[in-house]
Amino acid sequence: MEFLDFIESSSLSIWLRESPSVLAYPTLLAFHTFGMVFLVGTSTAIALRLLGFASSVPLAPLRKFFPVMWFGLSVSVVSGTLLLMLDARLFLTMPAFYIKLLGVAAALTIMRLLRARVLSDRAGVDTGPVPRQAQVLAGAALISWAIAITAGRVTAYASFIGWQSAAAVLILAVVLLVGRYITVRYLRAKSA
Amino acid sequence: MEEFLSFILRWPIVEDYFIAYPWAWPLNEILHFIGLILLIGIVGMYDLRLMGVAREIPVAALQRLMPWAIFGFALTIFTGLLFTTGIYANLEIDPYTVLINDGYLQLKLIFLFLAGLNLLAFNVSGASRSVEILGPGEDASGKAKIFAGASLFLWITVMYFGRLVPWGQLSS
Repeated sequence: MEFLDFIESSSLSIWLRESPSVLAYPTLLAFHTFGMVFLVGTSTAIALRLLGFASSVPLAPLRKFFPVMWFGLSVSVVSGTLLLMLDARLFLTMPAFYIKLLGVAAALTIMRLLRARVLSDRAGVDTGPVPRQAQVLAGAALISWAIAITAGRVTAYASFIGWQSAAAVLILAVVLLVGRYITVRYLRAKSA
Repeated sequence: MEEFLSFILRWPIVEDYFIAYPWAWPLNEILHFIGLILLIGIVGMYDLRLMGVAREIPVAALQRLMPWAIFGFALTIFTGLLFTTGIYANLEIDPYTVLINDGYLQLKLIFLFLAGLNLLAFNVSGASRSVEILGPGEDASGKAKIFAGASLFLWITVMYFGRLVPWGQLSS
């Protein structure tokens, strides 16, 4: 706690927190958003390809977008570390913050695994559907990102509102997925 | 005009939704994020391909992901309109007042409009048709690269000013 106090009261933290300049705290938040979009957006596009959308996209060249993800990750980590320093005690005592970190770690691990196993030249498949296991992993990556984004956003709210929001996201996701499943089955039954 | 806009922008049903459910505002923010991740993630990937990243991917193949970007765009517009029409529930300030005072919101809307114009010019000039036929390894024309770079820049600017909106001057 003393250490966290020390970080929070460093001159950089104070400037970032208290400067009226829009280039301080608001711009830091904006950079955290840019990082998120490049990291999560790129991996979402890759995951959607693996789930069967745009299946004419060849797999191996998708590896060339990983540097874009790592760029987004670096921007997120640097801006995130600074944001953490501003309110170290608040964030480090908040379950949502650790849930967010776990979500990010899980998604990154899965993306690295997919890169090595599915997007490599040796995987054999280049266009068209990927093995079932890879599809499950791609789905898991998307779910991990959704958890990370939800948990990250609710750090700005009281914890009971955070849990309620997370429940709302979960219910909405389940309704959409079940709705999609039923529609797809209905359309298949109709065309059969 | 002013009275009409102040009236039309405030939606009591949206305000009631935000007041009744404390989770509604954060849920809307999360959905706005998911929308912009889909939109800018996929459009950004397309722009980067035109600019020369992962040239092995045929442009037409990558274009098949665009419905997800359009879905993302629809999601940001929908959740953005909920923020606008329900803002009174959060700040007790009229959406019209915020609209005419918040310079960042105005800049965001201007850059959003410019991103739209860029897309329109990309299509009208024939650059979009010229890239659709690009196969593996083929490079886009200089003109198409400029459109792609402009698109990437404009979307990042939209995000930047969008994130600053809460720090703008909200009322006079």
